[in-house]
Amino acid sequence: MSPVEIFALAVFIFTYALIISERIHRTVAAMVGASLVLLTNVVPWEKVPIYLDLDTILLLAGMMIIVNTTRLSGLFEYIAIKTAKLAKGEPIRVLILFSVVTGLVSAFLDNVTTVLLLTPMLIYISRLMEVNPLPFLLSEIFASNMGGTATLIGDPPNIMIGSAVGLSFNDFLFNMGPIALLDLIFMVLIVYFAYRETLKVSPEKKERILRTLGNLDERAAIRDLALFRKSVVTIVIVVLFFFVHDRLGIEPAVVALFGASLILFWSRENPEGILEKVEWTTLFFFGGLFLIVGSLVETGFIGQIAQWITSHVHTEGEAMLVIAWFSALASAVIDNIPFTATMIPIIKAMEASLNTYPLWWALSLGACLGGNGTAIGASANVVVIGIAAREDIRITFMDFLKMGILVMVLTVGVGVGILWLRYVWWWR
Amino acid sequence: MGLYSSFIGRKFKHIAEKKYEDIIKHYKEFLLTEEERKVPEIRSILMPLDRYVKDVPMELYETISAYEAGVLLVYILDSQVFELVRQTLSLEASEEFRRREEVMGEELLNNLAKKLESCGLRVQRRIFFGNKSDDVIKLAENYNMLAISKNYGAEITKTSPLSPLVLKILQHLEIPVIIY
Repeated sequence: MSPVEIFALAVFIFTYALIISERIHRTVAAMVGASLVLLTNVVPWEKVPIYLDLDTILLLAGMMIIVNTTRLSGLFEYIAIKTAKLAKGEPIRVLILFSVVTGLVSAFLDNVTTVLLLTPMLIYISRLMEVNPLPFLLSEIFASNMGGTATLIGDPPNIMIGSAVGLSFNDFLFNMGPIALLDLIFMVLIVYFAYRETLKVSPEKKERILRTLGNLDERAAIRDLALFRKSVVTIVIVVLFFFVHDRLGIEPAVVALFGASLILFWSRENPEGILEKVEWTTLFFFGGLFLIVGSLVETGFIGQIAQWITSHVHTEGEAMLVIAWFSALASAVIDNIPFTATMIPIIKAMEASLNTYPLWWALSLGACLGGNGTAIGASANVVVIGIAAREDIRITFMDFLKMGILVMVLTVGVGVGILWLRYVWWWR
Repeated sequence: MGLYSSFIGRKFKHIAEKKYEDIIKHYKEFLLTEEERKVPEIRSILMPLDRYVKDVPMELYETISAYEAGVLLVYILDSQVFELVRQTLSLEASEEFRRREEVMGEELLNNLAKKLESCGLRVQRRIFFGNKSDDVIKLAENYNMLAISKNYGAEITKTSPLSPLVLKILQHLEIPVIIY
């Protein structure tokens, strides 16, 4: 290994160690790493636009603007209350409805925002029913990670993969959508059978719950009715555009930016306030990571790794299995964003000797669903556990691990099985 | 705090703390608190009266008639005042004071009882000498709700819109209270 390679690898490991430890903000860690590889010219300045994946960054920024403007209308709280009322104080209905709604919302919005908006309502309703909130919170986390798997815009790894390979919204929906749906059904069944004894309320209690829920008015959650309507229309337009963006020859990032400009123009909301709420820390985190991984590509280290893998893995089927399970296990313990950022150039470098198309789905599957494995596997997990802790509900590492590992193994297994049938067995 | 909890706490702070505070603030505007969610079961209501209680608003009858509860109307004559009259004036004067107070009390009790009974409530009446605050606090231990006038125990003024005796009683009670 050359000294430059060793330096780039050291920066990479140092940055990842800082990100994993959470001792300093992950954005700061990524920025420090990126500035080191730029200062030492490991990544030449003229190559920054190549490594900085603007498609991903602009898609995220556009969606953040849409979500932050929509949030002002109270739309998400409205959905949460409506879901709670539809569940009619029946624990099993709460479990199913909140899992489905979380999965659906997560498929189109980021998982953290989804769980931030739904968890307070879920805790409220489980307290109202006087039942153990754990099954509801766990199923919400799992559903959020599964919903994110289903679409191009659901989870950052999918955005990164889509942007790097040029996969469309429909590609993701047709390949990952059925897997996410099947996994969601399995997950609800697992959680139900594991906690069925605690998912019961007496008829008297149910009457009281219904009375309290009846007093909840979802319209009270709407802060601005005009903005509420405009937000719904904008989201519908954006989703429709995502369905046809590949046929129109438009990049997903352009769709998100169009949606963002439309809602800002139409709602007349103060753009300064909205842009302040854009998660710049996340965008800079992505930027930093892209440059750090770019330094490994630039030095040829990624190419060597890919070569080593292809010399040991001979078929697409084998590669798919390795990538899916390795990604799942790695994502269960480290953040799936830096992991995916590293894996993308590795898989790209394997293009010379393998058909990598099925491998992207294996990466998406493992990176998104692997997060369900442990309490620290995905941001949504940490957010729900953090909110629960503030509400005096303790979810221990083991509480999570017992269900998380089971759900992860089963859902990744189902996903790998479907991908195998589609891309290995069918193509044979 | 364990390693796991502090890690989750740190990561939560980095990812979502500020956003969460905004969201929870909005939820609090329309979700009832745990205390507000509990509908108290009201089976018995205590309603203390004295010479200062003149009017009982119609809204009070309407409100307490919503509960299927028994009401105890209790008129308390201040034993200390009675004693003071006896010591400073004469026994006859104190007896005259007692007679007038009892007449006033009986009249008020009968009037209120009739109105409450017409609302479908079961009413009991009591009149006795005692301490206006301590006896109410003691009696209230066996009741689910207290309905008390702002004037109970003293005249109210613009600067003091609630009788000090009512304030003292409220500080000692844990049951729901209607102040009229």
